[in-house]
Amino acid sequence: MLIFAISDKGGTGRSVTSTNIVYRHALQGNDVCYLDFDFGSPTAGAIFSVGSVARGTTRKGLHDYLLSEVAPEPHRVDVWTESDREGLRTKPPGAGRLVLFPGNEGGGELPAVDEEALRRCVQLFSRLDEEFDLVMVDVSAGRSFTAEMVLQATVRLPSVPFRWLVFHRWTRQHILAADGLVNGADGLLDVGTRFGHDRDKLRDRIRFVRTAVLEPDAAELVGLRDEQRAWLFACDTELRELASRHKVGRTAMLGKIPLDPILQWREQLISDEDVLASKIANAETAAAFDDLAKKIVDDAAWEGL
Amino acid sequence: MLVMGEVHTGLLQNSGEIPESTCRDVLQLLSGERVRVSRRPIVYAVSPDLLTGVDCRLPSASQSRIRGAGTVLSRSSITGGRVVQGSSHTRIERSGSDRRQPWSHYLARPGVVEALGKAKPRDLADGFAEEPSADGLDLGAISARFMDVVQSSPLLDRRAPFKIARTRLRWVAEPGEPAIHFTLHSDQMRTVRLVHTGEFTPAVVDLCEDLALHDWLLTALLVIIERARIGGTPGPEAAAKLAPAVDHLLHLWMPSARVDDLLSPYWESLDRRPGFTRQWQSLVDRVRDQLAVHTLAFLREKSGGGAR
Ligand SMILES: Nc1ncnc2c1ncn2[C@@H]1O[C@H](COP(=O)(O)OP(=O)(O)OP(=O)(O)O)[C@@H](O)[C@H]1O
Ligand SMILES: [Mg+2]
Repeated sequence: MLIFAISDKGGTGRSVTSTNIVYRHALQGNDVCYLDFDFGSPTAGAIFSVGSVARGTTRKGLHDYLLSEVAPEPHRVDVWTESDREGLRTKPPGAGRLVLFPGNEGGGELPAVDEEALRRCVQLFSRLDEEFDLVMVDVSAGRSFTAEMVLQATVRLPSVPFRWLVFHRWTRQHILAADGLVNGADGLLDVGTRFGHDRDKLRDRIRFVRTAVLEPDAAELVGLRDEQRAWLFACDTELRELASRHKVGRTAMLGKIPLDPILQWREQLISDEDVLASKIANAETAAAFDDLAKKIVDDAAWEGL
Repeated sequence: MLVMGEVHTGLLQNSGEIPESTCRDVLQLLSGERVRVSRRPIVYAVSPDLLTGVDCRLPSASQSRIRGAGTVLSRSSITGGRVVQGSSHTRIERSGSDRRQPWSHYLARPGVVEALGKAKPRDLADGFAEEPSADGLDLGAISARFMDVVQSSPLLDRRAPFKIARTRLRWVAEPGEPAIHFTLHSDQMRTVRLVHTGEFTPAVVDLCEDLALHDWLLTALLVIIERARIGGTPGPEAAAKLAPAVDHLLHLWMPSARVDDLLSPYWESLDRRPGFTRQWQSLVDRVRDQLAVHTLAFLREKSGGGAR
């Protein structure tokens, strides 16, 4: 199964959320890998705490694989052995493989989608599908050649299942932007249909994920004045209405991740140790990642809308 | 001087094993030429050798920059209708001149790469075990493509019974006092250094492919057993996870099946140490014992239920 992680705006929490989802999916016993296709700023290494590839690899990265003359085997990082975080460096019993394919340090965005890069992308997806239960691809923000390339690649791999996750924050601007990215002019559906996807089938494979959500009744808000709380409730209700008008509402939503103070301070994986031992992370956050990690492969959550 | 190669091995992307005729059709697509099939003791289908032109830096442990030009021989094969291999090799020879020749020169010597400079066999062989540099000879990339051609065949349903990584076996063969060294590097990477008496023969390629095949089987069985977490999960769950091994792998173990008699001592030596067949047999016993225990527990539960 291929999962494409996208967002309209930058800085929505796409990378932090998608890395935490694959991490949880590996803990649930699946072999997973993470492809950093955010070629302009390949920073997934930092989130997995692999210092040597924090800003991409200096060896043969995904960029080289897609664009260089010889298509070398891309650099693989086994997170369970190469992470700098001690808590991540041993594979828990029952967990699957967790492999990061970093982009190239200083690689730069794709300049275009040419036939050769597309062919290699198809080949890579097809090879990784042989090997991994789940392949998570960070497609970067907004309309890009990368998004175009993977839309085309999946047309050529009709028997490899794929799904899209669209990440957005819980604000008016973000809801409108996420809707535009999917349903707007030259959005995912337009471009996907142009390349040969069936519009309705493609729509069924897209779900929204709300990031850094602060529920009006959250424990963090206990100290607020009544007026402030009432205002937040009103806002939240308004956003819900806006979201459902724009088809970004509950039915098209796969899940939401609460705002977590530790993620506001640092882009990282939230381990059970962070929740139970050092208690720096909220249990709800870990549970939300865990839940999403199950839902991405749960067909019931992906039935036609 | 010496011959180097790389074999990639993986699970055919189809729900079940495919019959001999489909093996033929799948491999036919590669070349249009005649596919060779042998049936005993296991169905083995192989495409003819195809040429890939290369002009690149040769491997070198001392990081010398030696250019090589010529051709690589590659083929794809399917064993037991279930396991795919992509295999490439080339013989490195000294060039008669220091200058690059026209392609017609290299095409007249298929499977030979000429070193344009002072290449030392030891230095080449040592360097070959390492990852190729960006402009280096990358037989692995070629073999991977020969596997891809099979795996992406429209005749396959792509619903393989389990996910499993391909393995890569990089080998180098030199003349001398006979010896063989097999080394496991990472989860997927292995190297074989082989010293043979007399001239190199294509039988060495067969041997390396046979080793790669059995090493992959062993690796795959280990992975399946690890995933089953025997003892750590309830019996029926563990048994269900072991089932694909019985359905798809256990009958494929036939070491040396296609190996020339003259080369079988190499297999025998590897079977003494590290002891491929011994390890395989103990894993197979483990799988069968687990399934037997599970069946007994199941029967006991059933009859106990009936008595009440
Ligand atoms: N649930 C959360 N709670 C609090 N902060 C969060 C949460 N999720 C993400 N963040 C923070 O938001 C910021 C942006 O996250 P991230 O880097 O994942 O975004 P992105 O969409 O990948 O950005 P870019 O488009 O620049 O790659 C980071 O500082 C991250 O730690
Ligand atoms: Mg990011």
